Amino acid sequence: MPLETESKARVRALISEFRPENGDLLATLHKVQHEFGYLSREAMEVIGEQLDLFPAHVYGAASFYEEFRFEPPAHTNIRWCSGPACRLRNSNGIRDAMLATLGLDEIHEQTEDGRVGVINGQCNGCCELAPMVWLEQHETHTVRPVGNLTAASAIRMARALRDGTEIEGALDAAFERTPSGSGVSNG
Amino acid sequence: MAETLNALERYEALRLDADAVYEAWRMPDRPRIDIAMDTSSLANGAQDTGRALAGLIASSNANVDLGQVHGYGMQWLHPTVQVTFPDGATVLYGPVRVEDAPRLLDEANGIWGAAADLRIGMIAGERDDIPSIRDHEFFSLEPRERRLTRNLGLIDPDNLQHYIARDGYRAAARMMGRHQSEEAVRNVLNEAGLTGRGGANFPTGVKWNFLFGAPGEVHYLVCNADEGDPGAWVNRVVMEGDPHLLLEGMLIGAFATKSREGFIYLRDEYPFSIQRMEHAIREAEAAGLLGDDILGTGVSFHLRVIRGAGSYVCGDETGLLSSISDDRGMPRVKPPFPAAVGALGKPSNVNNVESYANVPLILMHNAEWYREFGTERQSGTKIFSFSGDIPRVGFMELGFGASLARVLDVCGGVQGGQLKAIQPGGPLGSLVPGHVIEDLVLEPASFAPYDAILGGGGIVFCNDQTSVMVLVEMFSEFVEVESCGRCTTCHGGNQRKTEIVRRIIDGDGRREDEPNLHFIDRTIQFSNCAHGQLSPKIMRNILQHFHDDYERAVLGVDHTLTAKGLYEVVVANQRDPQLPAAVDICPTGAIQGEEGRRKVLADLCIRCGACLEVAPNAMAKQPKTARPGILALT
Repeated sequence: MPLETESKARVRALISEFRPENGDLLATLHKVQHEFGYLSREAMEVIGEQLDLFPAHVYGAASFYEEFRFEPPAHTNIRWCSGPACRLRNSNGIRDAMLATLGLDEIHEQTEDGRVGVINGQCNGCCELAPMVWLEQHETHTVRPVGNLTAASAIRMARALRDGTEIEGALDAAFERTPSGSGVSNG
Repeated sequence: MAETLNALERYEALRLDADAVYEAWRMPDRPRIDIAMDTSSLANGAQDTGRALAGLIASSNANVDLGQVHGYGMQWLHPTVQVTFPDGATVLYGPVRVEDAPRLLDEANGIWGAAADLRIGMIAGERDDIPSIRDHEFFSLEPRERRLTRNLGLIDPDNLQHYIARDGYRAAARMMGRHQSEEAVRNVLNEAGLTGRGGANFPTGVKWNFLFGAPGEVHYLVCNADEGDPGAWVNRVVMEGDPHLLLEGMLIGAFATKSREGFIYLRDEYPFSIQRMEHAIREAEAAGLLGDDILGTGVSFHLRVIRGAGSYVCGDETGLLSSISDDRGMPRVKPPFPAAVGALGKPSNVNNVESYANVPLILMHNAEWYREFGTERQSGTKIFSFSGDIPRVGFMELGFGASLARVLDVCGGVQGGQLKAIQPGGPLGSLVPGHVIEDLVLEPASFAPYDAILGGGGIVFCNDQTSVMVLVEMFSEFVEVESCGRCTTCHGGNQRKTEIVRRIIDGDGRREDEPNLHFIDRTIQFSNCAHGQLSPKIMRNILQHFHDDYERAVLGVDHTLTAKGLYEVVVANQRDPQLPAAVDICPTGAIQGEEGRRKVLADLCIRCGACLEVAPNAMAKQPKTARPGILALT
């Protein structure tokens, strides 16, 4: 058995409250991903030990769900809403425009430098803002809903993020407004 | 009988404190501004509005307090706020943005009229001639007195005492005090006609009976809060607007099924609902309404939230139970039914959020009261959410049987075109042609003649500016991606179906696609769970109700110019001053050539529409010529 690595010890401490056969797997996976941004191989080994499950079982279950990642997330993820109200307002065009702007082929890819990714989002019932996306940063646990997008504003936003601008600046660029630092992120 | 007195007495003691707290909140010493805080309000900037108001109150030392409520239903006016004056009059305002904060504060703080143009209606009491919110057109189809949504605007959802003061937990206390037997509770639910609100419509009381009679000491009561249908946010409203209503319903359910532990399986996409429910559970535990020895009866019920992780099939009860039990969330073959083998292998019962939420209300009144609304076949009220090509997006609580055409009217009618399709019930739901709307009422049987279902309460109105083929591609991909993979019919069939639909949209439709789609449909129906069985429905609806659109798309014609492969984008005016902006915005550099001779390179153009937005007079969509290789049948 290899020596305990520092990150394994961190995972172990993080999930010490969880028990086998108690319906704790999802909560454990969420907690680890919230802390580390993704589920590493060794994290899943530790989770398996804690919950008395084979690592293959942990990975098998985790990989069933869309929300668990096995690679570090992009600095900023654009979560694109795939819901019907958004589709009625050209969200397909918005998706394709953002992917093209970032040089990505498909959803769930990220730019080579890891700055921006596009991921799939599900409707959460804010359809008055359709079409919308959420800008997410794991480092700061930020989730920023952005509504009333157009393909053009999405392109400006994606370009700004790609070029190193942070969320607020990218929204100023998207909606062609003077930097304000606050306000609702809607066009 | 000492126990009897004990439970109710303890409740009355809680009630006494709660009444005082609630009275002080309803009739505050000084005006209070309550920000609507819910998922939609937050997305619309409620926090920014709240921060602006807090800053102004602090800097001007205003004699005003801040609080929170849940939105009332008019999401197109979010963010909304309410002002409650010392006499108990409560005015609803919206949208209140950061720049409106100063005059809203003025209005609350003595300069009556400063925010007159933002007033929507009175939530409670009277002020001048401002109409009651109950008279607003948007709510004109609701019962005069709300039921499931009765506490919206009238409580702080994070305050247990507000809920108690509004008669909350009384029904549970009566039951815990043995004023009603478990059987009587199940019977009253059956008499009321309460059925599963997730869309399956199985009688709730009967379901509880199964678990009550199940062997063993350990029974689990489970709430399905995995509201995954895009366009439906019914459960979200209950959980964020009145979380204790769900908890009380589950507490009663636990008692009636001999369950000592329970789970609320809540989708990951509702973090705010998770926060509210977990807070409500902690509050209820602290007050002795959950946990051990509830209201001194010696009965225990422990409840926890399980956070989902983005899997639609976990909305199927066996998928959900697998997910709770540390497994992949794959639906399985029944039997064994959950009442025999459920969460962690123990007997369990799964109900939808709204099913539980109805229970305290029915027990508070009676079965007859419940049947005042609804139809012969489907009694009661239900929350519905409305979205799509309408100006007024929001939710309402309607009696079953409400006219869908009238609903569309109060939602402001269809905008941007004519009504083309109605989409109820999410990806496993249906696509109903718009022209039958006058025949549709909100009850499951009304949709049956169109091979359609009503589903969980989400309804999307679609105008004629988006191709129905684009919509079916969306739903087809959804059911393919969300297939658990157990049945080849489902994961393989939906894959094939999506490929065919995409090929048609891309302009390569074939004559044999239609028989193949029918064949796939028949095959997928042999899948194990509802996901597979219902997944081909929307495609079938296209062939049933929108056959002309389908046929034209196969021939390469799409009048909406939204099916990607059936139109092209061209430069319409070389001299338009906005043309350079179109060149700039194009993400693929598809608009090339010298000034005056610009041209869209078809191979590069991804038809995202950005150039048409920035230079609507310079750029245009143009149908591709119909394909010569394929002949029309008629």
